[in-house]
Amino acid sequence: MTGAAVLAALAHAAGSFGPGLLAAAVGTPVAILAACAISRGRRRSPALMVLAPLPALAAALLAGFGAPFSYKSRAFDVTLALDAPGAMLLGAAALLWIGAAFYAGADGRGGDGDGRFRASWLLTLMGSLGVFVASDLLTFFLAFALVSLPAYGLIIADDNASRRAGAVYMAFTVAGETLLLMGFVLLAAGEPNGSLQIRDVVAALPGSPWGGAALALVVAGFVMKIGLAPLHGWMPLAYTAAPLPAAAVLSGAAVKAGVIGLIRFLPFSHALPAWGEGLAILGLFSAFYGVALGITQTNPKTILAYSSVSQMGVIAAVAGMGLASGDLRAPLDTAFYAAHHVLVKGALFLAIGACAAAGARRHWLAFLPAAALALSLAGLPFTGGALAKLAVKGTLGSGAIGALASFSAAGTTLLMLHFLFRLARNPSPDRGARTSGQLLSAWFAMALASILAPWLLFPLTGGHLSDALTPAALRESLWPMLPGAALALPLWRWGGRLPHPPAGDIVVIGEKIIRASYGAGAALERVEAGIRQWPAAAMALLGIAIILGAAMATGF
Amino acid sequence: MNTASLAGITGALLVGLGLFGLVTNPRPLRKLLAFNLLGSGVFLLFGVLARRGAAAGIAADPVPQAMVITGIVVAFSATALAVALLLRLFEETGRSTLRADPPSKAAGDGSGA
Amino acid sequence: MQAITTALTATMGGLLLALAIILPVAGVLLSFVLGGRAAERIALYLMPAGLGVAAMIALGVWRSGAPLVYLLGGWPPPLGIALRADGFSAVMLLTTALVILCAGLFARANFPTPAGVNEARAPFAFWILLQGLWAALNMVFLGGDLFNLYVALELLTFAAVPLVCLDGRAETLLAALRYLVFALFGSVLYLLGAALLYGAYGTLDIGLLSSRISASPAVWAAAALMTTGLLAKTALFPLHLWLPPAHANAPAAASAILSALVVKASFFITVRLWFDVLPSLPVETPAAILATLGSLAILFGSVLALRQERLKLLIAYSTVAQIGYLFLMFPLAAGLHPWTADAWSGGVLQTLSHAFAKAAMFLAAGLVAETLGHDRISGLRGLGKVMPMSVFVLGLGGLSLMGLPPSGGFTAKWLLLMASVRSGQWPWAIVMLAGGLLAGGYVYRVLAPAFASADLSLKAPAPRNRERIALALALCAILLGFAPSGFFAFLQIGRPALTAIP
Repeated sequence: MTGAAVLAALAHAAGSFGPGLLAAAVGTPVAILAACAISRGRRRSPALMVLAPLPALAAALLAGFGAPFSYKSRAFDVTLALDAPGAMLLGAAALLWIGAAFYAGADGRGGDGDGRFRASWLLTLMGSLGVFVASDLLTFFLAFALVSLPAYGLIIADDNASRRAGAVYMAFTVAGETLLLMGFVLLAAGEPNGSLQIRDVVAALPGSPWGGAALALVVAGFVMKIGLAPLHGWMPLAYTAAPLPAAAVLSGAAVKAGVIGLIRFLPFSHALPAWGEGLAILGLFSAFYGVALGITQTNPKTILAYSSVSQMGVIAAVAGMGLASGDLRAPLDTAFYAAHHVLVKGALFLAIGACAAAGARRHWLAFLPAAALALSLAGLPFTGGALAKLAVKGTLGSGAIGALASFSAAGTTLLMLHFLFRLARNPSPDRGARTSGQLLSAWFAMALASILAPWLLFPLTGGHLSDALTPAALRESLWPMLPGAALALPLWRWGGRLPHPPAGDIVVIGEKIIRASYGAGAALERVEAGIRQWPAAAMALLGIAIILGAAMATGF
Repeated sequence: MNTASLAGITGALLVGLGLFGLVTNPRPLRKLLAFNLLGSGVFLLFGVLARRGAAAGIAADPVPQAMVITGIVVAFSATALAVALLLRLFEETGRSTLRADPPSKAAGDGSGA
Repeated sequence: MQAITTALTATMGGLLLALAIILPVAGVLLSFVLGGRAAERIALYLMPAGLGVAAMIALGVWRSGAPLVYLLGGWPPPLGIALRADGFSAVMLLTTALVILCAGLFARANFPTPAGVNEARAPFAFWILLQGLWAALNMVFLGGDLFNLYVALELLTFAAVPLVCLDGRAETLLAALRYLVFALFGSVLYLLGAALLYGAYGTLDIGLLSSRISASPAVWAAAALMTTGLLAKTALFPLHLWLPPAHANAPAAASAILSALVVKASFFITVRLWFDVLPSLPVETPAAILATLGSLAILFGSVLALRQERLKLLIAYSTVAQIGYLFLMFPLAAGLHPWTADAWSGGVLQTLSHAFAKAAMFLAAGLVAETLGHDRISGLRGLGKVMPMSVFVLGLGGLSLMGLPPSGGFTAKWLLLMASVRSGQWPWAIVMLAGGLLAGGYVYRVLAPAFASADLSLKAPAPRNRERIALALALCAILLGFAPSGFFAFLQIGRPALTAIP
């Protein structure tokens, strides 16, 4: 009875406070950025950075446990809306941003003298929250650009490796934005009534004359964002270069801009088997590719990055299978799986710093929760990971793709054991990382949230927690882990003999191609120098007059 | 051949000469002369138009004449400005050609021609 | 037919149009009379007044929903000359007033009359030329007669050329001379075309011509000659030989105005010619030729910008590329189709946002050059620490050039892309997207070293107040990205196509 009363009260509150909270969720980071422009605000900026995601968290709780709501700006063409999948991801992302900001403050970042980090952080935060609530094309594109471009300032530092990582990241980002822009234009052009609401353009997608091209471009843009192989090159580079709190929010929260993109823009109401299965196969390839490359790495940050390549592959497979069968539950299940990944991957990045900060004697104190989280990613029974696997089981189906997807847990187990092994042996803190109680408590809080939140969220997907605790479910989530654990032993023993491809592996090929294109640039430069000579320009002047005249004469 | 045709043909010749000068010679003074030839050709054309207006029954259409006068003033000012620049350039560098391109060479985008 | 009736009668508020031209001309004359020190003060007082006049004109156009018309001396065309302000004119007037105001405030530090002397050559010339340039620009945006526009264009060139070479260095003199001579040939071609049109129709009034024009060899030749002449002044590829040295070597305030406004003036007349004089003729093929040249401009300009060593040259080559975007509007906005309104709005918005973004970037680049003593891109490492606001301005401007939100450049690109998709003209869409990628490349080249932390030796302290001026312009380019739908309706005022679309 009381539960129903609470829900009713929440739904009522959602109706009255929700819209304002949505605007506040997106507006707070930029307001804090403005406050930091004055010196008094700057001194308190680490604290303000922790507070910035709070309105978003409140909005997510209201929408998640109450009722969906939306906000429409009178001044600008901005519409925001929060539904269940959006609320799930928004809440998880806000939690991670709070925890990571706490950690960053303890790590001495974003303070008075670190304007670049602070500004990049707040802008990325704004975009990261914005993509989950944007309900029209242009607002979504703006939020997507915000979550992508300013992150450059979080990745780079003063060494060549991070500069290279930043350059590669920007190249991927700008290319992805370009694909997405064209895709959005095609979506908008295919909507007969001129509406720019995502709901409307996606509904019009199957009947649009440009539907196929639009879908291909949009999916390509999001696939670049979530770093599916072979478009994953930026991910290991960027996460390795970025300081831990930045890597945590980028891998946990920012990358989910691509996931929410898939959730919002795939027309799940129409079964499109060819498209869906294509995406699922690409995702599964990425799931295994990430594991295969990840176990060759030694830096824990790089290993986690390859694990992201793999996990994003699983998410793409889920979304793809949902599209293939026209499963309307797929958005919510995908969002739950992704929300689990938001928290766990973010917390695991922080664990790297926490283990280093804890020192040798208390190392186990930080290491044990990290181990639990790492295995949660692989779907260990009684963890959020098991719930996540359970949630997407129905969507993945029982065919070959479903079987491969559940077998990917074996790979994840192997990769996570490899990570834990490296974490225990080689905690690689960032240069100048500090040891402090605040840092450890940030990590513990984050770990606790990551373990508990999935249990609270799972009922929202329509599942029952008791389903996850039946012996059959426990057995089912345990068995794929066994081959992974078995493989960990030889990896531990003979892993040194594996080849060691550099982080980012095939991105080297892309860099070679770009360098080769400099020659074409030089050729164009020579041509242009010729054109700028006086006789050539004068001839061009006369030539254009003649050609235009002739074109006019023959045009009729 | 009546006077209007003669003026028209002369105008066309002048325009042709001017365009030839535009393309071929890089020396600014020649270019300036070519510009003036070209302009004169156009003004002659305007004169023909005024005359044609007269043939159509309007007593010497005044609008083209006003245009020619304005045009001559503009062309004169342009020539004066260009000559002033040219003299200053000659004072500064001791040479006067439009062909070389020192600014961009200094900038390192190097045609070097 | 409506266009003709409005062209023949003056409207309420038409006097404002004359005032917009008289104000700066009076400033020039007064400056000559009162001499050096007064010129600066007169210019700076006139600029806000001019902004007010431009705002009132825009308000008048907005209220009446139709173009404002003023007949000089009360003589109607074809004998008299009409001034006319439609939506496009009004926004150009406003942009001009804003950019000139900012550039004027910015230039106070560069062109002060030294204490103790009554008049110094460079400052005196600068302030007079600035006002002259402004008068010529207003004439271009208000002129309703093709010959009148010719005169305005020539005045513009005469004011712009000396601005390039105010410092009297040999390289700037050469740049100015090349600019002048090439522009002169362009204007003769324009005049030749105008003569042909007059010969055929007995008038050069835009409104009258548009109703009389028909397909004939004289019109073809005239249109081709006039367009080519205007392209030479707009520096559309391959006629851009004069632009990079002129824009890169002029004083910062002058570079800003040249890149933001002066090349737009001849573009504006090209638009008038094609959309107000020739709209009744089918122009698909020549419009496609213009857009092809525009595409080449985007390719060459962007790649050359990528390869420059100096910041100001990079920005100048980016102007070459951005001019190319403007010409993509011709095939997309031609004719009467459902998408032409979008294409028109996109083209106009591109003109405006490039004006603000590029003016801001040139001002910022000028400050960087003053503070560091050079503008080599390789020497910008660590700039973000010492001049964060200038780097921010370069970033905001770059955002608009790349066509990323939130910026006017993004909205413009969105509208043009929509038009090219809906009209089935795919090549232009591909060109726009590729241009955005290349722009991303050259903006990255500037910003990436600026983010690095290295110790820079400064020749002068970074001038915060003047950085704020550049920032204001950059924010204008960003704000255009938030333009409400009423703004786009405003841009359509005076377009014949709007009334004809069912």
